[in-house]
Amino acid sequence: MTTAGIVAEGVRRSFGDVHAVRGVTFQAPEGAVTGLVGPNGAGKTTLLLMLASLLAPDAGTIRIGGVDPIAEPAAARAKLGWMPDSLGAWPSLSARETIAVTGRLSGLSRDAAAARAAELLTTVGLETLGDAPARVLSRGQKQRLGLARALVHDPRVLLLDEPASGLDPQARIDLRLLLRALAAEGRTVLVSSHILSELEEVVDDAVFMVQGETVSSERVAEAAGRARTWRVRLADRDAVAAALPVAQTLGLDVATVPVDRRDVLLSFEGETAAAAGLAALVAAGLPVAEFSAASGILEHTFLDLEGGAR
Amino acid sequence: MNASRLWTIARLDLTQRIRTVSWYVMLGVFALVLVATTALSFLSFSSQEDSGSGVYSVVVLITLLLVVLVSPTLSGNSINGDRDAATLASLQVTQATTTEIVLGKFLAAWLTGLTFAAVAVPFLFVATFGGGVRPITVVVSTVVLIVETGVVAALGTAISGVLARPLFSVAATYLVVAALTLGTPIAFALIGTGITSERVEHYQSAVYDEVTGAPECKDGTTACIDNPAEQVCRDDDQTSTYSVPRFDYVWWILAANPFVILADATPSGFDAQGYPEDLFGQTRYALRQAQIAPDLEVFYSECDTTPSGPSPQEVLDSTVPSWFVGLGGQVLLAGLLMWWAIVRTATPARRLPPGTRIA
Repeated sequence: MTTAGIVAEGVRRSFGDVHAVRGVTFQAPEGAVTGLVGPNGAGKTTLLLMLASLLAPDAGTIRIGGVDPIAEPAAARAKLGWMPDSLGAWPSLSARETIAVTGRLSGLSRDAAAARAAELLTTVGLETLGDAPARVLSRGQKQRLGLARALVHDPRVLLLDEPASGLDPQARIDLRLLLRALAAEGRTVLVSSHILSELEEVVDDAVFMVQGETVSSERVAEAAGRARTWRVRLADRDAVAAALPVAQTLGLDVATVPVDRRDVLLSFEGETAAAAGLAALVAAGLPVAEFSAASGILEHTFLDLEGGAR
Repeated sequence: MNASRLWTIARLDLTQRIRTVSWYVMLGVFALVLVATTALSFLSFSSQEDSGSGVYSVVVLITLLLVVLVSPTLSGNSINGDRDAATLASLQVTQATTTEIVLGKFLAAWLTGLTFAAVAVPFLFVATFGGGVRPITVVVSTVVLIVETGVVAALGTAISGVLARPLFSVAATYLVVAALTLGTPIAFALIGTGITSERVEHYQSAVYDEVTGAPECKDGTTACIDNPAEQVCRDDDQTSTYSVPRFDYVWWILAANPFVILADATPSGFDAQGYPEDLFGQTRYALRQAQIAPDLEVFYSECDTTPSGPSPQEVLDSTVPSWFVGLGGQVLLAGLLMWWAIVRTATPARRLPPGTRIA
């Protein structure tokens, strides 16, 4: 049984008439990467600000590693590392100085902060840019600096707001590996992101937020279980030619089977049905070169939930 | 409150400031103004035997003026500007407390203001070559200058924490500083001249010879023209009434003025004629004169030989210094605003000013 690094119950926050967060209840376990998924304006950033002890909720309780960030912000801040969606970097400070200053403010000695800065520059792959002023960094490099800064005091709980935005493919792979490594060390990692395919590859579980509310697990399961699209490609012919034999094998009307570029698109009610369909195609002797879900489970659920909300 | 974190935050602000070119340009312009001021005041005070004290007082007052003019731009957006740049939250999620953040920024703004004062040091040194500058004058004026720089820095930092928009807070800081420096003399002049009292003046004129126009003398000769005591005066008074402004009711308004505080606090000497020898003393003399209530019934006689009015020394001795009241009030105002800024900047934030974001 894993313990929860982040617990939120009935958290609400409004700004005047705008109800940014209307009811958030979820747990993020230790040793796992939890995704926070929701459309723009769902209240993800507001929620992260509350978790990061910067904003007080109107109602509800929050625990970061067992600590209430409202009652004991200093204790909570010692446990949490927060990376904002856009890094507010001190423009004339170098990346090394930025990390070192944050380290000093988190209670490290001068030498320890300098050593930690050097270590983290390597971790996030900024060692060659360590002494350049932050204003010359690209967006992706700033994101990496923001991550390094969030890690400076070795926090148990990480709150990352859109960490992958602006990163090149190699940096995304590095980030994914880093987040997995951090979770493997027993940390709680909460990642909000729009790039669902990226999130899919790194998260253990996801929390869905729509219009300021977390979506119940039943509702998520229902959405995830709904019919999904799969892509099928045959090795020896193009999609138009493939549509007829595929439809015939599965007992479908060829007019209802859409074609997208090289692929035939098929709809299955869940993974069991998809596996049975694949078995039927192979048994019919069709040269199946590719058979994959057209959208990740997160993306599928996300789109379904968002559609339901509208 | 942790001294190392406080200093880290102050140094963070200072580092960013000294790495900008505009900062050095400003210091250069500041030095040029001081070169001109020092040269002109040497010319202006060249008639005095010891011109040093006069030049010194001018350079100190100009330094205060420039610090007061520059400081609001340096401190007036230190907190809300950081919030706009999303760097404030980066400090707030560390172990640094709100008090440390606000005080650290105040410290940085104060030290920045003092850098300008430091540029003035060579010019003050040059001023002492003129002679007559007393060590106590240097010590007191320096301390008051340092404290006044701190007050303006604190006002700017605090207002930037209270108001959400950098542009408004810089403007508001200028308005508060202008209220203290320009507003106080304007209020003093307008209210003082607005309140008037009736003054009755009795005038006893001498008797003049109708033909020659020369005064008649007690001994019957005409040789007393230079000696009023020997002149014959008329028995009847000419009485006239007019209104006089009551600056004695409003002189305390000036006590809040930074320049008045500096002048009133700094001791200075008198020249051979008994008049204050430097700008501090002259300003103080003018301020103290305002404390004295005007006589509402005065007698003038052309035959009276007693000298009219007290000397500057007597005026200063018979009136009270006010600089500590003014300085105390300023420090209190700055302290209250700082406290308000700390409350407004505290996290986890319960209320946010409209239109602002945390990060």
